[in-house]
Amino acid sequence: MYVIKEAKAFVDAVANEPGGEKINECIQCGVCSGSCTTVEWWEYPPRKLIAMIRAGMKEQVLSSASAFNCVTCYLCTVRCPRDIKPSALMHAVMAIAEREGYKPKTPTLTLFRTLRESMKRGRIWDFGMAARFYFSSNIFNGFKVMPVALALISRGLMPIMPPKPIKSGEIKAILNKVRSIQGTGGKR
Amino acid sequence: MKYLYYPGCAMETTGVPIQMSIDAISNVLGIEFETMKDWTCCGCPGEAINELAAVSLAARNLALAEKSDLDLVAPCSCCYRNLLGAHVILSEDRKVRAQVKEALAAAGLEYKGTVKVRTLIDVLINDVGLELIRSKVKNQLSGLKVGAYYGCHQSRPYGPDHPEFPVWQDWIVESLGAESVFFPLKAQCCGGAQLFSQRAMVTELVARLLNNAEVHGAKCIASTLCPLCFTNLDVNQGRIKNRAGSNFAMPIVAISQLMGVAFGLPPRDLGLHKNVSPVDKVLAPYLQVRI
Repeated sequence: MYVIKEAKAFVDAVANEPGGEKINECIQCGVCSGSCTTVEWWEYPPRKLIAMIRAGMKEQVLSSASAFNCVTCYLCTVRCPRDIKPSALMHAVMAIAEREGYKPKTPTLTLFRTLRESMKRGRIWDFGMAARFYFSSNIFNGFKVMPVALALISRGLMPIMPPKPIKSGEIKAILNKVRSIQGTGGKR
Repeated sequence: MKYLYYPGCAMETTGVPIQMSIDAISNVLGIEFETMKDWTCCGCPGEAINELAAVSLAARNLALAEKSDLDLVAPCSCCYRNLLGAHVILSEDRKVRAQVKEALAAAGLEYKGTVKVRTLIDVLINDVGLELIRSKVKNQLSGLKVGAYYGCHQSRPYGPDHPEFPVWQDWIVESLGAESVFFPLKAQCCGGAQLFSQRAMVTELVARLLNNAEVHGAKCIASTLCPLCFTNLDVNQGRIKNRAGSNFAMPIVAISQLMGVAFGLPPRDLGLHKNVSPVDKVLAPYLQVRI
């Protein structure tokens, strides 16, 4: 009984997360895995991941980098016969993993955190965002992309100076409210 | 034809050449864009790990856009999808609607749900029309084999073009006198979202795309107006090996730049000198001046 309860707790948590609502309607047809642009990089492909969530395998799902390989191309979403919206479901899994402090082995989690922080300015500062990401993940990868960065900077396509913050007060008010609605008030 | 215009963050940085060409061709076609005041990030960057924040920021932009009764045009596919996605979620999901309403109220705003979000390609096809585009062509691009690349978000998941095999950009290419080349991966994802974090994966995705276009005979790619796709293909390909083992040198132009060339506009007005991929060789026969 205990095991079943635990399993249900996890699938319910995913179903309560925005994007995960329809997980229980999945018929395991595998169209998502078959459509997935990046499936060969997934340890557990989308269909399997959904099955694992429903089996309550919380630890394996949330500490795997699988969901983080989703490039959000929506091919699965337009094809899914049950209208599950697997892309959104993967976002729900990522959101839970991030919030509960799991550490999947992928730099993408750091990237998404950096991106989320960068929204606070009102407009994205590409250069600062990239620098911040490489400093907090792997600085050597940052050196490897230098030629690309230089090609952009020399053409004036990647300003080194940040853009003027736009309405950052308004943005902060909205994001703070979102955080308090989500009930993670004190943290981050 | 007048529209409210939401440029998106990337149009001010990596998308500058696209923005320049959009300004140039909209002058020719008589499209008037009123840039939205105080627009901010569409929220797309937060979507993966915090959907509510993403929808709230999109809703803030929508609430501002609602003050005008013009259609909202977002050339960047990600902005388009995120703004329209927020609109759809807010009209379908009562729980999220209540939460977003509360979040917006913190900034003294409210979104009633009346904005019509559109892509620029949609406007070009359905409002401007191919007839008008054809009538403005000064240099027929005859003999140019162009593969139209759509990326994902422009027509997926919300359309209005076909989600898997879109055709509108091909129609525009043909109306310029060029030959549009079908290649099956024309709406495949370029991986732009994870360009920083998963280089190996994104490199492979870009290589597949360009190989596919090459195999089907494209000599040039008319990319979607999304600055993420455009930059990913344009800047990165020089470091990626093709089937022959040499580095890719596929010319990437935004579809608006290609239109500008056909309209006989000076290449510097179209930002063509800012493209990283070798566009000069393939476009030279159609230009009066060098890039």
